[in-house]
Amino acid sequence: MAGGMDLGDSKGQKKALDATINLVPFIDLMAVTISFLIMTAVWTQIGRLQVSGGGGGDEATPEKDDKTVPVTLLLSEKDLRLTVGTSTFDPIPIVRDAKQQIDLTKLNERFKDVKEKLGPDQTAITVQTEDSVRYEDLVHVIDECIGDGFPSVSVAPVST
Amino acid sequence: MAIETPGKRFGKRLRKSKVFGHGHAAHKSTNADLLITPLVDMFVIIVLFLIANFSATGEILNMTKDIQLPTATHVDELELAPVVMVSNDDIIINGISVARVADLARDDYFTIPALEEKLREQRKETEELHQLANDGTAFKGVVNIQGHKDIPFRIIKRVMFSCSNGGYANINFAVLRGAGPGGEKTASLP
Repeated sequence: MAGGMDLGDSKGQKKALDATINLVPFIDLMAVTISFLIMTAVWTQIGRLQVSGGGGGDEATPEKDDKTVPVTLLLSEKDLRLTVGTSTFDPIPIVRDAKQQIDLTKLNERFKDVKEKLGPDQTAITVQTEDSVRYEDLVHVIDECIGDGFPSVSVAPVST
Repeated sequence: MAIETPGKRFGKRLRKSKVFGHGHAAHKSTNADLLITPLVDMFVIIVLFLIANFSATGEILNMTKDIQLPTATHVDELELAPVVMVSNDDIIINGISVARVADLARDDYFTIPALEEKLREQRKETEELHQLANDGTAFKGVVNIQGHKDIPFRIIKRVMFSCSNGGYANINFAVLRGAGPGGEKTASLP
């Protein structure tokens, strides 16, 4: 570093090589930026789970593909019943953890088996839900479906 | 009168005294230099942290204590769209209550006519605005449902049907981003 070092080549008056940076405007700018960012900050991290279904409109209805088979998950207060095409798996009884969340480990394993059999093209699933099921449980199951490779989730009521 | 530095001041008579004027206990400098470097470092860290957390979309949802959102991990970024709020008591759109949940539990209809009507109006207004602005983009019909986590599906189902009938078939459930199984936040699959 040559800052402040006398190089000894000047003939006339020596010019100081050290320059002081004025930090005051920089600190002012920082203070204003911090104030702005704090005021506009969004502290709650909110996301969305996209679902289709509900009847009525036709914009969000996914196109039927001949390669895929209908995968349906029946969600009731007592159990989960997975149906792939015409074959129905054994019902998975609903077990809740300490936070009252449904334990979906078994469903996860079953989804893995289904994915292995049907391949990656199978992305659609219909979650048939009973009227008495809590919204939180439905969201938890949809989240699991998306996480296990079924991003096109349709929600439908149980047909009576 | 000149401003003098704080400390002991002796009267005029003693000011020139060798004992009191100059000789009293070693002078402690009253000018303390403020260390700017750690302050600037701290400011830089705060600015970087806030910029990293900055959300350009702002707050789309109006969070109220009546509505506790469920948590999910495989979520996408929330879009700017009409929000239907479903609490334990009311169904609200654009800050206006369109139905009472207690009343909905009594009847057996599949839709909520008042909500459907409001959404139709909103769709019409949006399409007119797009026409006036010569915006050729097609109407996507996206709606966000901000539901309380304990609401039964029979209410959510009716809200969803009403949204679809009102022209908003792309339904998004608003959720809080939770940590994944390993504690990490996970993004949605493509």
